[in-house]
Amino acid sequence: MSFDFAVILAQGPKILSGIVVTILIWVGGNVAAAVLGFLIATLRRFGGRGVDVLLQVPIEVIRGTPFLVQIFLLYFGGPYIGLRLDPITAGFIGISVYGAAYYAEIFRAGYRSVPVGHVEAAECVGFSRNQIIRFVLLPEMALLVLPPSINMAIILLKETALLSLITVPEMTMTVSAIGSQQYAFVEALVVLALVYWALVEVANWLGRIAERKLSKLSA
Amino acid sequence: MTWKLFSLLLEASLMTLLVSSISILVGLGIAIVLSGMRMSGNRALFAITGVFISFFRGVPLLVQLLLIYNLLPVLGLTLPSLATAIIGLSLCTAAYQAENLRGGFEGVPKGLVESAEMAGFSPVQTFIHIRTPIALRMTFPALVNEAILILKSSSLVSAIGLIELTKMAQNLAASTYMPLPIFASAGVIYLAINLVVAWLGRRAENALPGLPTK
Amino acid sequence: MRKHFLAALAGAAVTLGSTVVAQADALDDVMEAGVLRVGTETAFAPFDFIDAGTHTGLNTDVFAAIGEEMGVEIEWITLDWTGVLPGLEAGRFDVVAGPATITKERAERYRFSSPIAEATVAILACADCDIEAPEDIAGKPIGSATGTAQLKQLQEFASTLDTPPTEINEYVSFNESYADIAAGRIEAVANSLPNIAFVAQQRPEVFKVVTPAFGTPTYFGYPGRIEPEFATLMDKIDEILLAMKEDGRMAELQEKWFGTTFDMPDYVTEPNI
Repeated sequence: MSFDFAVILAQGPKILSGIVVTILIWVGGNVAAAVLGFLIATLRRFGGRGVDVLLQVPIEVIRGTPFLVQIFLLYFGGPYIGLRLDPITAGFIGISVYGAAYYAEIFRAGYRSVPVGHVEAAECVGFSRNQIIRFVLLPEMALLVLPPSINMAIILLKETALLSLITVPEMTMTVSAIGSQQYAFVEALVVLALVYWALVEVANWLGRIAERKLSKLSA
Repeated sequence: MTWKLFSLLLEASLMTLLVSSISILVGLGIAIVLSGMRMSGNRALFAITGVFISFFRGVPLLVQLLLIYNLLPVLGLTLPSLATAIIGLSLCTAAYQAENLRGGFEGVPKGLVESAEMAGFSPVQTFIHIRTPIALRMTFPALVNEAILILKSSSLVSAIGLIELTKMAQNLAASTYMPLPIFASAGVIYLAINLVVAWLGRRAENALPGLPTK
Repeated sequence: MRKHFLAALAGAAVTLGSTVVAQADALDDVMEAGVLRVGTETAFAPFDFIDAGTHTGLNTDVFAAIGEEMGVEIEWITLDWTGVLPGLEAGRFDVVAGPATITKERAERYRFSSPIAEATVAILACADCDIEAPEDIAGKPIGSATGTAQLKQLQEFASTLDTPPTEINEYVSFNESYADIAAGRIEAVANSLPNIAFVAQQRPEVFKVVTPAFGTPTYFGYPGRIEPEFATLMDKIDEILLAMKEDGRMAELQEKWFGTTFDMPDYVTEPNI
């Protein structure tokens, strides 16, 4: 068995477009997931016991089922209830919702980590709820929620590979298609491994920078 | 969706449980060894664990599995699908578990370690008898979380020839052409398994001894 | 140091060992092991599928006959289709059941068995869609599976139409394309006749087959390794397949699984595509 990477790399533009689609859905979906997760955690923190319990249900359902099953039902089942999404939109929504369930738990742990006394003190000096979230809770939990958030971003990147199932032209789809057309299967796998690995390392690197800045701020 | 189809899914979920549970345990063993290597003070060992963890966290599991499956025979080692799947899943979860354990090892009170050393424990003995049990206890919730993630990721081993829950769903969808009820049922089974795992995890956590304070 | 050297040596020996085995005669190896390893996917009805929990289809019947004639056991290795041809090249199994459309390009890479069914491409449409002839896909969204010979033929056919289809979606497998017809996103899928006839027969309320076939005549064969040491094994399989065609067993199996029989050449030497 000999390896020939040239036949894969000759398709540079196609690979590049796959990488771009992957990055766009990953970054967009991840940001949306974090925002949505934060909103859910905030609702649960301040919305009273009823809201807290009610929101637990979708979170458990989403965290308890594989992304593959969710995306399949969303894309192929959606039209039966009048929800006809194009592949990229469905992929973006799928990633956002899946990620949001995990981010909601990350931020919930963050809210819990802040001592009640700090919130009470802020209330005493007349801070509004928004001000408390912005100036007390968020800064105090930032260092704690950062590592699991980076972890989550990495998990979401790898889940985007499943979007080929719903015809999103992301990089797993484009590179493995080139691999089978050129009969360079293993080479295609190696290329995919390297690109994902590189993207993950970039995410880790950004995470470490953010961590360092944050710990300087809070020091 | 007939009972017959549903019972086939249930049967296939046994394979999901088998592969995931073995991989979680083997992965935990590897993760502890990796942590030991990382804390050994040996630079080479430290670097090796770094690359290992970075690779297995950085490359999608599907790509890892296909590489192991198609590259090992080229090197003259042809393992059956089940063994390949367990190796792949174990290595991947080991990398994540080693990361989880890191926080636990960092949280082991220094005083405990020092008193163990004063009592004549070797570094290896301290690692096995003092550090590891405490780190495991501290990161137990993360272990339960990882177990759920692996249960879900195990659907990818279908790509290398194992018929587990997701593969059975795909097979049944491909012969009945009614994919939606079948995938929805598979989702329900995954959810049920994971809720039970989470519940067992909480019970186990309450039953475990408390943590030493700093 | 010595230890490392020995380990390296052992590694080299293992590699060498496998090369030596690969050089030997594949038919002898199979007979000696008493096992023929067959790689396939199980989501390709009616060739290979899971019916009520049992792996079944034309392939299991044909290979049961091959195993019987050769006096060996058949060991099935079932993967996703994307993993099947790589698995063959990696030496995971001796032959692929699949089957695959015999094309010029593939014939340079694999040794195909004598054809076992017609693979000519036709249109599967939604039951209540306004598609009665292949040309009716003009101006409509359609699809096929990515990287397949069927997709290529669909694209060529579409380019001959005055109004091209609005979209030609590419799916990871045909099963997702069927699901997308059911979901209403596309109106038709191009795939080989035996496959889509089975789909429409299973769910006539959702799908219908649009005749005639639009593609050039093509055939399904079982892909095997092209290297010389596999020639004897593939010759043996061909010998059995040809005997089955001769004495009517193949026609019987085609009737059983496709509800029809196909006229097929003994060998496809000049694929049309």
